[in-house]
Amino acid sequence: MMVSENTQVITGQQTTAVRKKWLRSTDIAGWCFVLPLLVGVLGFSLYPMVSALLTSFRGNGAASAQWVGLTNYSRVLQDDLFWGALYNTIYIGGLSAILGIVFSFILASLVHHLPWQRTRNLFKAIFFLPNVVSAVATSLLFSLLFHPGKEGLINYALNWFGIDPVGWFTDPSIARLSVVFMILWSALGYNTIIFLAALQSVPREQYEAADIDGASALGKWRYITIPSLRPIFLFMIVMGVINGMKQFTNVWLIGGSAGNPSGALMTSVLYIYRNAFLSSQLGIATAASYLLFVFILLLTLVILKVNARNQLN
Amino acid sequence: MDKTAPSLPKAPIKLGHQTSRKFTSFAIMFILCAASVTMVLPFIWMVMTSFDWGARLNIPFPPSFWPEDPSLRTYRAALTNVDLIRYILNSFVVAIGVIVISLFSALLSGYALSKIRFKGAGMVLVLALSTMMIPFEMTMIPQYMLFNQIHLLDTYWVFFLPALNYAFGTFLCKQFIDGLPGELREAALIDGASEYGIFPRIYLPLCMPIFATMVILQFLGVWNELIWPLLALNNPDKYTIQLGLAMFNYNNGSRQMPSIIMAATCISLIPVLVLYMFLQKYIVESIATTGLKQ
Repeated sequence: MMVSENTQVITGQQTTAVRKKWLRSTDIAGWCFVLPLLVGVLGFSLYPMVSALLTSFRGNGAASAQWVGLTNYSRVLQDDLFWGALYNTIYIGGLSAILGIVFSFILASLVHHLPWQRTRNLFKAIFFLPNVVSAVATSLLFSLLFHPGKEGLINYALNWFGIDPVGWFTDPSIARLSVVFMILWSALGYNTIIFLAALQSVPREQYEAADIDGASALGKWRYITIPSLRPIFLFMIVMGVINGMKQFTNVWLIGGSAGNPSGALMTSVLYIYRNAFLSSQLGIATAASYLLFVFILLLTLVILKVNARNQLN
Repeated sequence: MDKTAPSLPKAPIKLGHQTSRKFTSFAIMFILCAASVTMVLPFIWMVMTSFDWGARLNIPFPPSFWPEDPSLRTYRAALTNVDLIRYILNSFVVAIGVIVISLFSALLSGYALSKIRFKGAGMVLVLALSTMMIPFEMTMIPQYMLFNQIHLLDTYWVFFLPALNYAFGTFLCKQFIDGLPGELREAALIDGASEYGIFPRIYLPLCMPIFATMVILQFLGVWNELIWPLLALNNPDKYTIQLGLAMFNYNNGSRQMPSIIMAATCISLIPVLVLYMFLQKYIVESIATTGLKQ
């Protein structure tokens, strides 16, 4: 209280300064402190967004000075490759997000149930380990593990069960699923860690009350744990969708710029990359990136909406 | 709350409760161990294969965990074929620059948004938070064009300048500094300290936990990044470690060279694995506390 009274006295002496609003020293100091951030946000986030929008309305290659209206957008929307890429992206991103949430939640619940702190920490460390490994290293490793021949480790193991070698990254109908497996391996630990932190925040009183009522462990999990983690699930789904839509490094390393096999690994970002940097069709590429952005936004809104409706019921 | 004991109440409620609990614990351990093996086996295979001179051209059949022809020659071959040491040093230069610049920007802005109530602070915060939603993939093409125009492609400025825009860091710092008492600043102002001296002298030393978290997150992010180096760097002397590794694999085409590539991959992993080994607990904690805020 003393402090605030003192500051009032000081500001009282500075009434003349306060009247000239733009010269207040705290304002100047504040803006100086946020200047680096502002330069970054304006120069490397807002300016590129505007610039991309303008580019998407201009011609491609030599005609880049010409305004072409919505031509790029209609060309992208009529491009089968774009829709194929969007399908692959949703397939890989959606499936890896959903499976990732399910598996990591189960893992986190199991780890949470262990009574020994040290063992829990050990499991946390093991599950998170693949997460610090780069996408490049993961892709190189899995392209060998998922070798299509009988000498691939996974195929060799399957052979024990009498299963013929699978063309993990060479069979177009399986390649997407193989990428999902790879993403699960590398990303599962991240979600597990977050779920574990969330599990610790569920109030213990609820469990104790359920114990008195004689609830089983599974019953408590179903009726207390899962409902109280609802916001976390929602967050995970939204983040999973957004991250899933951005797959590039792994598919580029495995399938190259063509998204091989047979375009099964052509994702939206790969489509943008190809058009921008291989065929220098910047208008097409920026139009596609705006369409992708709008699509991600719509998807996020739908998820939030569905959740809001469910919460009302 | 007691963090170390999230288990159920100890008192046995009904007969045989102890044994059923033991069985559950055993079953849980079994599942978790199986999952752990799945997580770790690929690593073990990678390390073992990286020492197998017999796998320098093709994966030998049958595949095994023990090298057919254990040798360090694979590592020598990797180091002579790929300029790994240079790429690792390059990545360190990039990482240090990005960390210094992004933390400078994030700490200053986070402090100002939290403690200095200046005109327009709310607007700046909303602006920064809303740009967090924009995926990098949206802005990469215009950013490339921008750096092309100002002739900074193929220099590390392509990493350093955008590092100013670390809005997530700003958000983390603001939230952290919100938890520190504002009276420190007010008292210092009364004592005649200048607004510019208060942050470095009083608040910065208190910000060490969030400082360390951001260093870890940014280091892992920069170290593992591929797409932006791929676009912005053409000169192989400037390659970062991920780009160098990826281009080595890319230029090989259909030639496999499993053990050489695995050796190169292992070398590229050493810095992060060392970091993980020593800071494992801290890294996991950083993810647990910041992950939800992202």
